[in-house]
This record gives sequence, C-alpha cells and structure tokens, in this order.
Amino acid sequence: MRWAWILGLSAAFVAGCATGVRPWERDQLSRPEMAWEVDALEAAHRSHIHFSKEGSLPGGEAGGGGCGCN
Amino acid sequence: MYETRSSSWRRKPAALLLLACLATAPAAALEVGDIAPTFDAPRVSGEGTLSLEALRGKVVFVDFWASWCAPCQVSMPQLDALRKEFPPDRFVLVGVNVDRDPALARNLLERRSIGYPSASDPEGRLPARFGLETMPTAYLIDPDGVIRYVHRGFRKGDIETLRDEIRDLLADRE
Repeated sequence: MRWAWILGLSAAFVAGCATGVRPWERDQLSRPEMAWEVDALEAAHRSHIHFSKEGSLPGGEAGGGGCGCN
Repeated sequence: MYETRSSSWRRKPAALLLLACLATAPAAALEVGDIAPTFDAPRVSGEGTLSLEALRGKVVFVDFWASWCAPCQVSMPQLDALRKEFPPDRFVLVGVNVDRDPALARNLLERRSIGYPSASDPEGRLPARFGLETMPTAYLIDPDGVIRYVHRGFRKGDIETLRDEIRDLLADRE
C-alpha cells in the first residue's frame, strides 16, 4: 500500500514535466545563443569543408550523396 | 465497513495520478465550427483594453504573434495591408501578442508601423484557451463568434489564401 502511494505521488510529481514547451513559450528557445550553431558564417565554413572532404554534395546534411557507400 | 474504506484508500493513488494527468493536459486546439473564446485584454499600446465580445457582429481576424517569431514578422505588414482592402465596419483585424515583455511588442509595432490593435497576453492565457499548436496561428471568426477558418504558420503566398477566405466569408454574410 505504501508503495502504491509512493508510486502515485512520484508519478503525479513528474507529470508536470510531461507538458513540453508550448508554442507561445518558445521565446527563450528562439534566442540566438540557443541555436545549434551560434556563428552562421563559421557553420557555413565548416559545412563547406565537410562536404569538400566527403567528395559529395550535400555531405553534411544528407546521406546518399552519390558515392554509393551508404 | 473496513473493506470499503480500505478499497477506497487503495484507489486514491490512481485517482491522484489521473488528476495530475488531467491538470497538465493541454487544451484541445479549437477548430472550424467551434465558438471562439471571448476575451478582454489590455492593449499592447497600454491604452485601454481590447474586447473580442465588443466586435460581435463583424468578421474578426485574430492573429496570435510574438516579436521573437520570424514568420509573424513577415506576416504582420502583409496583414496590415490586407485589412485595408475590406470595409472597417464589417471586418476587423486584431492581434494577440504573447511576449513576456510587452515593451518588445511595442518596439516591433513601431518599427514595422503596424496599424491594427493588439492585445497583450504575457502570461499566455489566451493561446492556452484557443489551444494554439504553432506560432503564428490566426482565426477567422464570423459575426456570431464561430471560427470559420484557422491558419497555422505563415508561408509565401499565404496572404492570397487569407484574402480569399475573408472575401468569401464577407460575401457569405452579405
């Protein structure tokens, strides 16, 4: 019985984490410092080096770039 | 007697969990045919309030926007131009801003010279009541308060779709 209570209370406590970020609450996520790549120029440069070395286009973004190896 | 009380106590953790799930469940998104929730919220400009109920009898376009939402910034000047194509005694366009800091919204409205009024809802109560699924979302509401069209997101060419929807609804209510 005690375990049922502990389980119920724990589940009720963590249920608050299951709501996710709602569309109108995404202001913090849309801040520049939250981007995967903070510097767009550097990201483009890195991507260019990546696909140049891969020998396929687009090397960084998708599989099956024409090399026949994936 | 003891048995009844015992089984009732045994059910309480499950009831607690069910209540927690219900309390955290998002509101269902409003769709075409639903009655639009009325609101009376302070204007972004700080001058008075904006009431949806006061606009009953007109076709109303309610656009949810935020200063951090890039498609909203694309749509707003186009919507501002679009509203001028329709008679103001029959059609009204209002915005609902969800910025936590209304000063950001004021700044954007001034920068983009947006002429239509916007309500400020920094706590996000109105999008929760409408069950917003994306930003921006706009609702075309008929004179009786019934949602006739829901537009989610804003892409190139969407303004044509919106123009057609508004024109059709106004013609329908002539």
